[in-house]
Amino acid sequence: MLKQLHNRLASLNLGLWLMSGVMLALAVGSFSRGSSKSGGLNDLPLFLWLREAPLPFSWWLWIAVALLVVLCLNAALCGIEALRKGRSLAPQLMHAGFLLVVLAHLISAYGGYKQQFQLGEGGSIGFPDGERVQIERISAETGPMGVTSAFGAELRVASGKLSEVRPNVPLFQKGYGIYLKEVAMTPEPVALLEIHREPGALTALLGALLFTLGNVMLLAQRRGR
Amino acid sequence: MKWLLIASIPLYLIGSFRRPLFVAALLLQLGFLACRGLTLGRLPLIGPGDTLAFFSCSIALMSLPFLYSRELCGERRFYWSCGGLAALFALIALSFPTLNMPLPPILDTYWFELHVALAFFAYALFGVAALLGGAFFLRGERGFLDLQYRAALTGYSFFSLSMVSGGIWGYYAWGTYWLWTPKELWTSILWLFYSLYLHLRAKGTEWDRRFAWLGIFGFLVTLFTYLGVSMLLKSSHSF
Repeated sequence: MLKQLHNRLASLNLGLWLMSGVMLALAVGSFSRGSSKSGGLNDLPLFLWLREAPLPFSWWLWIAVALLVVLCLNAALCGIEALRKGRSLAPQLMHAGFLLVVLAHLISAYGGYKQQFQLGEGGSIGFPDGERVQIERISAETGPMGVTSAFGAELRVASGKLSEVRPNVPLFQKGYGIYLKEVAMTPEPVALLEIHREPGALTALLGALLFTLGNVMLLAQRRGR
Repeated sequence: MKWLLIASIPLYLIGSFRRPLFVAALLLQLGFLACRGLTLGRLPLIGPGDTLAFFSCSIALMSLPFLYSRELCGERRFYWSCGGLAALFALIALSFPTLNMPLPPILDTYWFELHVALAFFAYALFGVAALLGGAFFLRGERGFLDLQYRAALTGYSFFSLSMVSGGIWGYYAWGTYWLWTPKELWTSILWLFYSLYLHLRAKGTEWDRRFAWLGIFGFLVTLFTYLGVSMLLKSSHSF
């Protein structure tokens, strides 16, 4: 009985059906109000959003997550089975990478954090331990076509060190990332800052590296076959 | 310099039965992209006009290893179908105005260029895989399916790398490696689709026809992910 259940859970057919199911759920979801900007899916950590969003907004994501859980089990069991039988390592590394990326999403879905602040020069952000980061200076450059070509803000951290944040250049402080989203220079300089905590990021990177390693190995194996 | 792109179209349509003419058309397109890049000071990867031209060039570029492969030597109809596909997207590119604006600060990073370029190489290989699926149905030779698998696997590898570089860029730009928008959802769908396709290979030869069909259908999913989502749904990747 257990053996039969194991075989079924590790089967390729189940994996194919689960992948189809996740694809279908996500495809329907992409047209739903839940995934639109007004749905607020990117404003909260995933599990908090799933708890708070009404079911007509989130049903497709519940289905996708449920199927994904079984798909992960399927991938893990299939990988273990393949390793026991001494099959190629490359696809199993890809499976492991995929599982780590899903784990990363799980970690971020629980422990993620996001908060926006609109602050002028001299304004500051407080951390839970009482430490503050203060905006010293906000700057912007206008390009030849009248659009903002570059902008930045100088932040002073508690140690007195001055750091500049710009688009694509955040400041990492106490496990949080401080991101500069926008600035306005008139009537007075104001910066829109976002504080993020993405605890799954490192796991996701590790998963991506493992997946890529397996993928490269698979490409090398399949060359000329 | 638009004439370089325009000139490549008839060359693909009339001459791509012959590989040297195919390469000549590709060189014209590469010349066009190089001129655009020099004018803009960056890779031309913003807006439908530039991205379609880049996509068209990617199709021709990614076709080359297949055109010069031992297995497809003398397959002139296949050469032409690759040229025809590249010409089609070059033609569509011409119907859009080119955007000469400077790069918005958030896009001004090598991660963005890497992310987009890799995605287009992947899309192009999925297109080549679809053509090889068509060739399988026309000729009934299993060799085409092996090549289709190789094209899709290489495309899948590029696409996975594109997702990784997009995630790294997103982490530095927005504070998260993942956003729940229609584009990301369809990116996941496309990645899962080709994961399914590659797994299906393990089902054996009795699944050959379904395998070939999936390789063709995959390109439609690709086109919807690239063009459909960008034009029909509101997303962080909208044109």
